[in-house]
Amino acid sequence: MAPSLGNFALWLSLFFAISQFFVSKSNNLKLIKISVNGLLISSLISFFLLMFSYVVSDFSVLNVFQNSHTTKPLLYKISGVWGNHEGSMLLWILVLTIFNFFIFRLYNKNNFKLLSKTLETQAFITIGFVLFTIITSNPFERINPIPENGLGFNPILQDPALAIHPPLLYIGYVGLSAAFSLSVATLNLNNNEKIPWYTYMKTFVLAAWIFLTIGIALGSIWAYYELGWGGWWFWDPVENASFMPWLLSTALLHSLITVEKRKSLKTWVLLLSILAFLLSVVGTFLVRSGILTSVHTFALDPSRGIYILIFIGILGGYSLILFGIKSKKYFDSNYLTFFSKEGSILINNILMVVVCASVFLGTIYPLLVEIFTNNKISVGEPYYNSTAVPIMIPAILVMGVGPILAWGKEDKSKIFKKILPGILLTLIASLIVFLIYQSYSIIGIAGIILAFWIIFNNIIILFKKIKNLSLGMSIAHLGVGILILGITGSSVWQKEKIATMKINNEIQIENYNIIFEKVNEISGPNYVAIQGNFLVYDKKKNIITQLKPENRFYPITNIFTTEASIHTNLLRDLYIVLGEGDPNVGWVVKIYFNPLVIWIWIGVLIIFLGGVVSINTNLKKLKTLTQ
Amino acid sequence: MKIRKIFIIIFSICMVEYFLNISFAVEPDEILQDAKQELRARNISKNIRCLVCQNQSIDESNAPLAKDLRILIRGKITEGKKDHEIYKFLTDRYGDFILLKPPLKLSTLALWFLPFVFFIIGIAIILSHNKKSR
Amino acid sequence: MKKQLLIIPFLLFLLILLAFFYLLMIERNPSSLTSNLLNKSVPKFESESLLKNKNFISSEEFGNEIVLVNFFATWCKPCRDEHEYIKRFSDEKKIRIVGINYKDNSKKASEWLKKLGNPYSDIPIDKNGRIAIDWGVYGIPETFVVNSKGIIKYRHVGPITKKVYRKINSLIRELE
Repeated sequence: MAPSLGNFALWLSLFFAISQFFVSKSNNLKLIKISVNGLLISSLISFFLLMFSYVVSDFSVLNVFQNSHTTKPLLYKISGVWGNHEGSMLLWILVLTIFNFFIFRLYNKNNFKLLSKTLETQAFITIGFVLFTIITSNPFERINPIPENGLGFNPILQDPALAIHPPLLYIGYVGLSAAFSLSVATLNLNNNEKIPWYTYMKTFVLAAWIFLTIGIALGSIWAYYELGWGGWWFWDPVENASFMPWLLSTALLHSLITVEKRKSLKTWVLLLSILAFLLSVVGTFLVRSGILTSVHTFALDPSRGIYILIFIGILGGYSLILFGIKSKKYFDSNYLTFFSKEGSILINNILMVVVCASVFLGTIYPLLVEIFTNNKISVGEPYYNSTAVPIMIPAILVMGVGPILAWGKEDKSKIFKKILPGILLTLIASLIVFLIYQSYSIIGIAGIILAFWIIFNNIIILFKKIKNLSLGMSIAHLGVGILILGITGSSVWQKEKIATMKINNEIQIENYNIIFEKVNEISGPNYVAIQGNFLVYDKKKNIITQLKPENRFYPITNIFTTEASIHTNLLRDLYIVLGEGDPNVGWVVKIYFNPLVIWIWIGVLIIFLGGVVSINTNLKKLKTLTQ
Repeated sequence: MKIRKIFIIIFSICMVEYFLNISFAVEPDEILQDAKQELRARNISKNIRCLVCQNQSIDESNAPLAKDLRILIRGKITEGKKDHEIYKFLTDRYGDFILLKPPLKLSTLALWFLPFVFFIIGIAIILSHNKKSR
Repeated sequence: MKKQLLIIPFLLFLLILLAFFYLLMIERNPSSLTSNLLNKSVPKFESESLLKNKNFISSEEFGNEIVLVNFFATWCKPCRDEHEYIKRFSDEKKIRIVGINYKDNSKKASEWLKKLGNPYSDIPIDKNGRIAIDWGVYGIPETFVVNSKGIIKYRHVGPITKKVYRKINSLIRELE
């Protein structure tokens, strides 16, 4: 019953999306309202009916059968809904319609034309995705006879961080669709100064950016805690697919501020907002279609890829041609000075886009080589470390000064005075760090100096309480500084020990002695595990902590996983993974000493908070606008 | 990353049964006595792709082939082979695909230089905007 | 001047889109990985043989006739699946097949061949996987076609299916 209803609701979404597309051309607010609400409600229904099928383990639904199992904990039954392609499409549609609803809520007398056009574009996007779901990936497909139990679910993916990671990313990607639609609408209308389309756009971009930030961070957290490699970023095509829209939306956000304050860079903003959404869709779906994953990906459906590619072609072709023809009316002659706030924003913008372009190049280059030379090459971490990362360094330097500079034009003699405290504090703090730790890796020095540069400049701003400076911005920038600190520490000074250990063996890493005390056999809800017990002592023989890494076996899927055990403090993580072994020869044990990792997560949290503060300010602005 | 992990699992189930053992990337018995040589081995391994994995170096992979390659690299190092000889040995057999850092060739010219071309274009845009203000 | 520049994003987009389309349209068979050894001589190696008492020396075995080289092991399920086709190559087509026993237990391998039939004319043993690395092997099963001059002409990754069987057959006919 539920699946059939869900399927019906999905068709209903298609109906309302089509009706929204047509009625948004009319001036009939009532009809628009019905379509928008109907779309939201029907996609809510279909999404929750699929979730219901998961919760009650209705294996007559193919999708549930393939991705769920009765022994799965409830949380992972629910997250199983979007843990697969078909279900995640429903979530994607739901988020799309929620944003659609918010756009509708902004209606007032002045912006009627703009928002109608926006809703029309938004409806078109929704139609595309709903059709895609119905035609190529319907999650409500049934099977007969009904199987007794599901095929289970990958235990590595059973992790709270990963359970909410995809929805957050989707909100980010789809939030960019609102910016895209607004941009298309703006291009279609005449340049009307009275309608601050950029203020509307900024709210959506901010929301998208916040969710992208936190979504990417959760993915990294999952990688760090679950994969057991001690790392958290791998320049994987899948990661790049989320990183590129993040870069563009960061650039977009900053340009939008310039548009708001100085009325310049409008053309640039219109282009960026189109590209950001296109890149989200390209990234998400081309990763799925298997094009990017090359060598050994089996059993992927090319029809999905072709459908989505045609859809992207229509969206991108239409919007970019529109941009080519109509954007010139938004050109401005306000050229910028280097030494001004908008100048530094422009510099940063360009650098972000350059980084994004390089990442994009690295991601698709193997494909291009394959097309033209029939050879295969790999582009991995070493490539990005020597291209994208160096370009980010000047961007970070500029980021430290930018906020202090004035809009318009800054007196050059004053600049030095303004940044002097920041420079001094940075130098002093960096010197202290290096005197204490005595490590002189060049990347380490650069990273620490950059991090302190950002941190101190923003602390100074926060303390001075300079008026006109956005509180959210300073907080977010402070977070970035802290993030860089964590990234530098954990990637430059990581230590690793690999050894075979028997019970009562001892191993030393940095200033810690670690004793392998014993092994327990334990059993969890759907797995059995061997759990090692490690005692960690410091130099003075005080016990610091007990670490209990596990080695799990999931009988349903026949999969082994390792659960790292981690002790965190403000300076470092101690990270132990237990490998295979037995009492006679001992167990393989891998221990990492990861400095400053916690600051990565703290940094992201502060960035997130900054974003929330900003969006709060922005929403107030919107409220006065729409009243 | 999700896809990578799924892929590893699919691969392990379909292709090679004994993938299923939990084993680490670099294992204790592989490690060379000489710390300097070991560091060289690790650095080379980080640039060598695990061919059966997705975007993973053999240093991080627990695939059997990755282990074989790690042992082979260490063997070559103790034989006194230079780094570039080891890279050549591997690319002779597996092609450029095995290198995570693609070599500079005609076909990768754009890959290596375009980011800096982008960078220069970016700087040019900024400068052109700046000049006209004066 | 500036006006024309505005269409550049669209042109770039179009180029990238076309590249993606092309990639989706062509049949990218992940199994037919081009080998770096293609059109090169067979790697030199020497190892114990599972069938004979004397060592298998590659320089003596290749270069006279067309040879199929098949990497296999008893622990590899797909190897069992393709075994039927390997046998057909030997029984019906009378092609010389060298099987390289990859990281396997010799006793198990002998029993396996007794049970399923032995299509191989000789079986060098690759205990530690070094021979496989010399051949640029990713994972077994993998099959190579070596021509009568000892040059590698074709490589297939993964089990041999009906389709692959036909393909290799027509290739062999061409080489003859």
